[in-house]
Amino acid sequence: MRNGLIPFLRQTGGTLRLAAHSMLRTRTIAAVLVLLAACVGLLPRAVQGDGTPSGDIQILLQYTLGFAFFILCLATLWSACALLAAEIDSRRIHLTVVKPVRPISLWLGRWLALLVIQAALLAVIYLGTYAQLHWRMRQDGWCPADRPASRRVTRPLLPSPSEEARAILASMHANGTRPQGVSDAAILRTLETRAREKFDVVNPDQDVRWRFRLGRPLQPGEPLTVRLRFDSEYSTREHVRGVCRIWPEAYPERVVEHRLNDFTLNEIALPVDTRAFSDAAGHDPEGLRTFVLVFRHVGETRRVSALMLRFRQDVALLTAGGSFEANLARAALLQWAVLALLAAFGLTLSACFSLPVAAFVATLTLVLTLLGHAVVRTVSVEEEQAWRNRVGIWVSRGISSITSRAVQAEPLTSLTRGERIESDRIGETLIWNALLLPLGLAGMGVLMLRHREWADTESCGKDHT
Amino acid sequence: METRQVIETRGVRKTFRDFWRRPVVEAVKDLNLSVARGEVFGLLGPNGSGKSTTLKMLLGLLRPTAGTIRVLDAPPQALQARARIGYLPEISHLHPFLTPRETLRYYASLFGLGRRETERRTEELLEMVDLTQAADRAVGRFSKGMARRVGLAQALMNAPELLILDEPTSGLDPLGARAVKDLVRTLAGAGVTVLMTSHLLADVEDVCDRVAILDCGALCAEGRTDDLLRQPDAVRFEIEGMDDAAAREARSALETRFGRPVRQSYPSLTLERYFLQVVADGRTSDAFRLAPFLLGPQPDPEPSGGAPCATA
Repeated sequence: MRNGLIPFLRQTGGTLRLAAHSMLRTRTIAAVLVLLAACVGLLPRAVQGDGTPSGDIQILLQYTLGFAFFILCLATLWSACALLAAEIDSRRIHLTVVKPVRPISLWLGRWLALLVIQAALLAVIYLGTYAQLHWRMRQDGWCPADRPASRRVTRPLLPSPSEEARAILASMHANGTRPQGVSDAAILRTLETRAREKFDVVNPDQDVRWRFRLGRPLQPGEPLTVRLRFDSEYSTREHVRGVCRIWPEAYPERVVEHRLNDFTLNEIALPVDTRAFSDAAGHDPEGLRTFVLVFRHVGETRRVSALMLRFRQDVALLTAGGSFEANLARAALLQWAVLALLAAFGLTLSACFSLPVAAFVATLTLVLTLLGHAVVRTVSVEEEQAWRNRVGIWVSRGISSITSRAVQAEPLTSLTRGERIESDRIGETLIWNALLLPLGLAGMGVLMLRHREWADTESCGKDHT
Repeated sequence: METRQVIETRGVRKTFRDFWRRPVVEAVKDLNLSVARGEVFGLLGPNGSGKSTTLKMLLGLLRPTAGTIRVLDAPPQALQARARIGYLPEISHLHPFLTPRETLRYYASLFGLGRRETERRTEELLEMVDLTQAADRAVGRFSKGMARRVGLAQALMNAPELLILDEPTSGLDPLGARAVKDLVRTLAGAGVTVLMTSHLLADVEDVCDRVAILDCGALCAEGRTDDLLRQPDAVRFEIEGMDDAAAREARSALETRFGRPVRQSYPSLTLERYFLQVVADGRTSDAFRLAPFLLGPQPDPEPSGGAPCATA
């Protein structure tokens, strides 16, 4: 029974309690709480918004939560580094490892303690932010349309960036315009990155047409919104004049039309009167699942410049997607999963190195991750060819690919825009960031704990020299 | 079937290496040791003689460069061996933010003990080391002697069959030191094997059945304490109730009989015993009353987590 599940759970539970005590009874937690309170309480007052409810929402949700999360990331990483490494450095671990305890219990108990404390801190941050949001809504008397929402986002059916990149490369081969001295893989990589971020141009008097397939059929009368985000050549405000027409693909006669005449830089949201589709729904409910949207840019060709928008990102249909509070909880869950990964990383580092080295490596990795993603996003084929850049780009690309799942989990942009964080994204993030990657890191940590010598060999050696 | 030997080392060597794996020092050289069940064994030696390295290899904290080590019929890293060992390091290395009660509960959880058994053993051990009153104060605020008591209590949490004590009386006042030595003898009487190191040779002489002396990593001497300390060609008589004149007469008679000088001295108390007589006034008798669970096997209310108890 000593090698069974119950003793294992007791050992892990004991380690969890010890780690929680060690974090809660030090000044570190007090310092983190003060920083988080300052961030949640003072930052929204210190940063001036543009006076609109959406500006206030952005400050509260994106800046406040983002900054608080960054503090929490650093605190998690360094706490995780300290949890094992400080115990090893101070030799307190000797009394533990001479007991019949498995290395996985030592690692797992500490990781679970970190998860519990992170969850509590995240809850405090999110509840504080939500309370401020409510207070602001009441204070400023926001109308229902201004209140933060949660809507499902359906993007147009387009070829994937990789498909588009392959098609462009094939046409380059056919036309003989393929750049020389560059590998196909490098070209594909660049084309794929550009396909994700590229702006498509809509010239005056030009029609653009997109197809959408909703996750479930639309109910007649259910709110439906067309969202378009335009940009101009010089990132200046652009006068958008156009006609927007939408209809169920199966019922082309049920067209809802909107005329746009808006002087704006960014987002235009057009509520669609879905009662117009009610007869169509009577025939076949599935008929209200696939929609066609056509945008026609109208205006005098000489006076109006072309409109720019990224088809993959800037065009969307929005449908009802649950409550904002539930979306807030989903965002917290995604951030918690990232913290779980950071905790696992810090713990594994602390199993390998002393506290200063582990903390240095952890911080360096964090910085390299942020830099690596920026480099990968902006690097061009020409820059990649220069031999002096290659090592840096390879390292950046490696770090970027390893950490992409953690970085992609970022939920605050969706939350601020009122986009529902979908369950499959949450599931994927939880599986990778809170399960599989920590499992791999735990394996490395356990391997290290099992094979290392615990006594301070350096000082043992000094006795004899 | 377990052998009679609790600790057995054969040809053990330990070489410390630097960062580049170059040998820096050979801390232990070809060590062969055997400690039998129920023995109190003392490991002696000057600083840097390899005592700590040997202890750490026996505990599985270090791996030998060569040779084999068996502790309780298993390699030192084996969980089944570790479940039956208690260890008190030279410096207690306790978590300063935990109270003695929390400390003992933590180590009990590492042995997989159930809640009721943990509570029982914790209370009994706190009472044994006389820390019940201070059980809810943080260990970080304790004196060295009090921390040592907590260290001793955690070493006994699993009712060990083998107790490894590194400088067990270090930091304790004479009363505490006496109590620890008495405890060691009591535990040995209950069948527990004790391996201890100490710089205080009087302590070792007091409690150890056998000793080994290490120097420069090599075993220089080993044997029963009485045998090692005995002067084979000298005899001392102690006669009570004899005055100076009678003593002089007896000495001259012996000198005449054997034809060589006879030394005459007056036996005195050791300073420790005198101190205990003057200061302690017999208080040591109940300082460390053995925790009941250490006295022998008792019905375990939670069989899933129980650790073996020493047999009385």
